[in-house]
Amino acid sequence: MRWLSALALALAAGSVHAETFHFTAIPDEDEARLVERFERVADYLAEQTGLDVEYVPVKSYPAAVSAFRNNQVQLAWFGGLTGVQARALVPGSQAIAQGVEDAEFRSYFIAGADTGLAADQSQLPEDMEGMSFTFGARTSTSGRLMPEYYLRQRFNASPQAIFSRVGFSGDHSRTIALVAAGSFDVGAVNYKVWDAAVADGRVDSDEVKVIWQTPPYPDYQWTIRGDVDERFGDDTTAQIQQALLSMSDPSLLESFPRSGFIAADNDDYAPIEETGQALDLLRP
Amino acid sequence: MPSADAPLPGWRQRLRSAPLVRLTLGLLLLTAVLLPLADLSITTGAPWAELGRMLAGFIQPDFSATESPLHALALTIAFAFWGVALGVALGFPLALLFNRSALLRSACAFVRAIHELFWALLFLQVFGLSAVTALAAIALPYAATFARVYAEILEQVERAPGDTLARATDRLSRFLYVELPLARQRLAAYTRYRFECALRASVLLGFVGIPTLGYHLESAFRQGRYHEAGALLWIFYLLIALLPWWAHRRLLPLWLLATPWLLGPWPAVDFTLVWQFVSVDIWPPPLRNGDLAALPGWLAGLPDLLPAIGNTLLLALLGTVGSLAVALVCWPLVSRHFGSRPSRTLNGGLLIALRSTPELLLAFIFLLLTGPSMLPAWLALALHNGALIAFLVARHADSLTPGMPGLRGLDLYSYELLPGVYPGLLALLFYRAEVIMRETALLGMLGVATLGFHIDSSFAWLQFDYAVALLTLTALLNVAVDAVLRRLRHTAERGGRRTPVPGATSFN
Amino acid sequence: MAQDHGSARAGEALLQLDGVDLGYGDRVILPGVSLTLHRGERVALLGRSGAGKSTLLAALRERLADSAAWCPQADALVPSLSAYHNIYMGRLHAFSRWQNLVNLVRPRRAAWHDISALAAELGLAGLLLRRVDSLSGGQRQRVMIGRALYQNREVFVGDEPVSSVDPRQASQLLALTEQRHSTSVVALHQRELALQHFQRIIAIADGRIVFDAPVDTLDRSRIDALYAQR
Repeated sequence: MRWLSALALALAAGSVHAETFHFTAIPDEDEARLVERFERVADYLAEQTGLDVEYVPVKSYPAAVSAFRNNQVQLAWFGGLTGVQARALVPGSQAIAQGVEDAEFRSYFIAGADTGLAADQSQLPEDMEGMSFTFGARTSTSGRLMPEYYLRQRFNASPQAIFSRVGFSGDHSRTIALVAAGSFDVGAVNYKVWDAAVADGRVDSDEVKVIWQTPPYPDYQWTIRGDVDERFGDDTTAQIQQALLSMSDPSLLESFPRSGFIAADNDDYAPIEETGQALDLLRP
Repeated sequence: MPSADAPLPGWRQRLRSAPLVRLTLGLLLLTAVLLPLADLSITTGAPWAELGRMLAGFIQPDFSATESPLHALALTIAFAFWGVALGVALGFPLALLFNRSALLRSACAFVRAIHELFWALLFLQVFGLSAVTALAAIALPYAATFARVYAEILEQVERAPGDTLARATDRLSRFLYVELPLARQRLAAYTRYRFECALRASVLLGFVGIPTLGYHLESAFRQGRYHEAGALLWIFYLLIALLPWWAHRRLLPLWLLATPWLLGPWPAVDFTLVWQFVSVDIWPPPLRNGDLAALPGWLAGLPDLLPAIGNTLLLALLGTVGSLAVALVCWPLVSRHFGSRPSRTLNGGLLIALRSTPELLLAFIFLLLTGPSMLPAWLALALHNGALIAFLVARHADSLTPGMPGLRGLDLYSYELLPGVYPGLLALLFYRAEVIMRETALLGMLGVATLGFHIDSSFAWLQFDYAVALLTLTALLNVAVDAVLRRLRHTAERGGRRTPVPGATSFN
Repeated sequence: MAQDHGSARAGEALLQLDGVDLGYGDRVILPGVSLTLHRGERVALLGRSGAGKSTLLAALRERLADSAAWCPQADALVPSLSAYHNIYMGRLHAFSRWQNLVNLVRPRRAAWHDISALAAELGLAGLLLRRVDSLSGGQRQRVMIGRALYQNREVFVGDEPVSSVDPRQASQLLALTEQRHSTSVVALHQRELALQHFQRIIAIADGRIVFDAPVDTLDRSRIDALYAQR
């Protein structure tokens, strides 16, 4: 027992001395050299706020939510849905900023040319029924939640009932690769990832087409824990928010990638929360 | 001229005297009957561009693309090393009690039944992304495995030395003076083999965010940065291929001293959260609140269990039979009895690549080739596990000396070597079947809704009550399947003889 | 230790078999065996290999339990341990598990003393620290006998304990076991040794006891016939 309490003490001591402010972020595309890129963001935040700031790399949005809940990170760049999850788990936490693009985010439905589905339709085509379909990651707002919402609205049926097969590719880039290879007929992706892939020539837009785009919805945002002011000083939340909103160096912004950040609050994400609950993906 | 009064024995008669052939045919028959239930459709599209990019990445790996690959490599080794060390420390005492306590045996089967990745996901909620999560995720299931396998090895030591001891001799002394010295080599060989498994597990932990090689490999592969993924794969293949040298017994003290400093980070555990997790989060709300009327509603929130269980069992069966086929074809490729030294080296490299590439990556390649169905998952499981079994069987065959000199090729394979290694091959296959069943869990991305797919989803949605309920169900299923496999393995080990032959399968 | 040379048939009965079927599991090898073993007797079991000697020995050992020191053939040694440890194993039960654990690392003074003395008598002086897999067949057999002697039991039960040493040494080793045990039952294949060292011979062939008689009443031709059959 004695060594056990010694261990507990050592662990507790670790947490007392760790007055470093931790944050995490996963860009929606290109996770190469994450640490290098986001350490520059950490330096920027440290310079602006006077805090000791450190970046914690995580693998996935569920992992980011766990880290946020366990207080391993105090600030996180979440997707729309994962932000709602995180704020429900950590009472008092709030959304403080979103990307300029995130106020009006969209998902694209893409299909291979050989499916015969025409590009840029005004609604989801009925011919999709019976084809194979892939989402992105399971808890992705743009790769899962909103596409499923609009599928159900259009067909009044679950994706499993609409399509012959439903996969979860795990990532927007992979969704594009799988649809391009013909492994799945149709897929749903984050519009920014698609635009970037087209711009880079990674996808041939003759072979894979955008067949429909969703109406706009709010997506990625910065969420901060409610107890940071108590722990790091009275106006920490305000200082962090200010630093984010005034971030203008393109080389920092391109890590996310966003053109800039604008203020946001929890209420902005009410539509996402309602959609999640309507699809039984979030518990009320 | 065949004589009329000596009729050829009928197939019934021949089968009756060949239990292993009977077992194999039974397995094939079961597979053939159930095969129509499996979704094996092939959709071919235009996979070649993507596969070409993968191949290019593999041929021209970019070793500078990953940030701090050396740190990831060192961490991979450190977690595997200390995970196994802790597993051994915990597993040894359990092995001594293993055959005395049915409760212990069930508990071990239960712990083993849960994949390392799921243990990691559980510990992640409590210890965050830390060394404790990684070490516990390896050490816990490994301790349960060591307890069982060590107990089996100790059971198989020669009887004669122990018989000379007085009956009153205590368990520990009996173990120290007789069983340990007699079984030391086999115990060490098995532990070494598990270390290789632990390296793979350590890589896999990267898939949930522990910064090992797998962390970077998964990101790079998922996002199509194939030159980086290729470099990471090469690093891992080399690590496995050079294992006998860098993990030599004499270097163990060096690793023991050098690696503890690499472990980290150590978590700052918030005990209120831990308590919240174990006392609230993982329990169904109706049970927690004593509101049993709400239980049906909670149960309705579970995914469709029957198809999930069916898919899990079917994929495990297909994977097992596929592994058998792959192993039968592949083991001669790396055995000293066949081929030339260059051919064996080349084939050995191929087998290392197959058994070291995470199934998820193999499955993705087949997904591009055949489209989404159970087929890519089947192929990935069969190739990965078949290559692993083939490698162990080849080592066994190398220890055999054919009784009839001059036999070559297929004659040597079918008359001398296969009869020698087959009981062991089957026993190993049935061990591996348990692993295959666990691994079906990881292939949910192909749209095959196995139990593991639903568990992974529950974790993603932070519905820990459902996750733990499904994990429990999976573990119970595994315990049941394990009981069946145990019987099959005993049949295999007996190799058709009436009396048990201790040590008939020694995979040294 | 009780020493009781030469007083044949003097002691009370140590064990008695009365029409018992002996074998392994359901398989009977020696049906309907009847015999009595008295304290102070020296019994040799003779018979061709596979006749059933080991079956009878196993039955005797089971019934004598902890009053018998069992000395099988040398394959019952633990090859990777030293001769010292292999002999020490005879008395593991007499010490605590922790003493046994420490003894693996550093020999117990008293045990080392006793075992060295024993080794000198057995012709193993200077070999105690050698791993037994580096010893010759004859040396291993001595280690095996050493383990049995170190147990300090009343009855010596041996299965071909001197098969790999020359007749003169075999004779010495048997004399040593006689010195240390009041009673012995030993399976042998050397007739001469049986006649020299034992008072009673039980002969087994084809799953039954062919004869069971004191040596001094035995006609040698009956023993020769045992091996000449078929």
